[in-house]
Amino acid sequence: MDVSDLLASHSANLPSTTVDKDTPLDVDIGFLTVTDPNPIDQESYTANLEEYLQSTARDGIQALLAALYALPIHPSQDGPLAQLPLPTTPLPRAKHLPVSKQPTKWERFAAAKGIQKVRRERKIWDEEKQAWVARWGRDGKNKEKEGQWIHQVKANAAVDDDPSQQAKTARKARVAKNERQRLQNLALAEEAQATREARTQRHADIDRTLASTRISTGSMGKFDKQLEGDKKMRGVKRKFDPAEASVEQEKQTSLALLSKLEGEAKRTRKDKGDDVLNVRKAIRTVSKGKGGVALGRETAQAGKSKGKRGKR
Amino acid sequence: MLRTIKPRNARSKRALEAREPKEVEDARTAIFVRGTHAGEVVQHAMKELMALKKPNAISFSKKNDVRPFEDASSLEFWAQKNDASIFVVGQSTKKRPNGLVMVRTFDARVLDMCEFGVDSFVSMAAFKTPKSTPGHKPMMHFASELFDSHPRYIQLKSLLLDMFNGEVVESVYLSGLEHVISVTVGPLLPNQTTTVGGAGLDDPKQLPKVHVRTYTVKLVSSGTRVPRVELTEMGPRLDLSLRRWQEADPEMWKAAMRRPKMKKQDVEKGLGKRKKNIEVDEMGDMRGRVHVGKQDLGKLQTRKMKGLKSRGGDSDSDVHGGEDDEEEDGPHRKRLRD
Repeated sequence: MDVSDLLASHSANLPSTTVDKDTPLDVDIGFLTVTDPNPIDQESYTANLEEYLQSTARDGIQALLAALYALPIHPSQDGPLAQLPLPTTPLPRAKHLPVSKQPTKWERFAAAKGIQKVRRERKIWDEEKQAWVARWGRDGKNKEKEGQWIHQVKANAAVDDDPSQQAKTARKARVAKNERQRLQNLALAEEAQATREARTQRHADIDRTLASTRISTGSMGKFDKQLEGDKKMRGVKRKFDPAEASVEQEKQTSLALLSKLEGEAKRTRKDKGDDVLNVRKAIRTVSKGKGGVALGRETAQAGKSKGKRGKR
Repeated sequence: MLRTIKPRNARSKRALEAREPKEVEDARTAIFVRGTHAGEVVQHAMKELMALKKPNAISFSKKNDVRPFEDASSLEFWAQKNDASIFVVGQSTKKRPNGLVMVRTFDARVLDMCEFGVDSFVSMAAFKTPKSTPGHKPMMHFASELFDSHPRYIQLKSLLLDMFNGEVVESVYLSGLEHVISVTVGPLLPNQTTTVGGAGLDDPKQLPKVHVRTYTVKLVSSGTRVPRVELTEMGPRLDLSLRRWQEADPEMWKAAMRRPKMKKQDVEKGLGKRKKNIEVDEMGDMRGRVHVGKQDLGKLQTRKMKGLKSRGGDSDSDVHGGEDDEEEDGPHRKRLRD
């Protein structure tokens, strides 16, 4: 029996799932987002806005669903679960990237030796009490020996031998050692951070020095031999302040500029004298350009000769 | 600035750790801030947008004297205090009636802002249709050529996408996809072109309107694997016009766009930049091929014997040169014979 006619008529009755667009839709399946870059159809937009919006949205979502159903889908208790790929649309982060913590000395050792971290349970089983007791802290297993009312002592033990005190000192020493190591690790991490910063600073300094040497020749670097692997020099890109700024900001910039102009400390020539007389200029005029020392000598000689004359 | 808190117990320590920066971030929390004079339309619009954003939404329903474009310090404080990174501020003034400002932050500092005017708003209650379950992930639909070309609309798309769908998820229940948020930009005026800085597109008053619609999805069997989609409007329905905006500071944007380093798994999946000569075998081990240049076997130091020593008359270099020539000739001859 030929059923192709029946099948064809049946499929004609079913709604279609194909979407025809001039420009293919841009589907970002990771964010369940579809972008339709086709221009708006002005006629249907003005004729019936809501219907037009709904029909474009339907087409877009149909394309999105087609992409979704093409993904690997796994059955689960609550229905089919589609595995999404990573999104392609770049979005800014809400917080900066996490800074990786400097590993401690033990962590480095464990990594080198391939030692897996095992989580220590807080409670351990006490055979004598037949109960779970705390490993440390109040009534902790690590203080068991200190609170014991009877101790086993070697026959040749000293008279003042105190096993409970010894256990306590040993525990305190362990705690102190741990604290010392913790502080050491902190100091090392800080040091490593400082070294890293110093290195980046040094790299920046070297780059700056190199850049300045490259333009410090007679031709300002224009006719110098180019070394292999030398990058083209990039100038500083000029940045302009926005033309519109808030009144507060404008006031601040103006005041900063004024403070640069005003003030005794900012003057280039310190020996200008007071505002009325320019002493430097006056000396130059009186001494006819010979300077202050010459003028002083002249006046002194003139005084001497006068005195001699009087004696005669 | 908030003081830095040192956790005093395990619970507060966990709470603080949850706020620390993560490689893959959680969904952004949005704060809906009511301004000093919000007005009925804006208040309703904010309420319904919040209903779409729940459960990652906080409402600041008292009157708040904030002007994001003039002084955003309160927003930055709230961002830190509430661990939120998106703000929707509703304010209605005579100059800018029915205004909604969307603010996005990075490290609790303002990244970018965009102001809308709500031209028309129809509430969810006006549509007597089934609604989506709160907290379900929406599908998003953006329709306009401007979303790829015009900076204002690129920012708008980025903001809306970040607000409603910005969380990266590994998998999604197909039955949980219940609603669609559709954003369509109206047609350009006849004299406008889509290029950046094109005619008339710099003036905010001439920018085409933005239509935000929300639909619920109904799937109808189509005889193929992919069902046919039918949409029913659910509300809210918003028509927005663009007003003021503030672009992100380039350096801050660069810092915000930094990606974490690719993990081995992702490289295996073929994500990121394709690396040459690296492949993953069936056992899941990454294998690389290294190309070593042709080795000069003439200089290979073998066992030293008296008979193999070069004699005084011949110089070392001559001997080696002769050997090299022979080696190079060898394969050529073979090929010729073949």
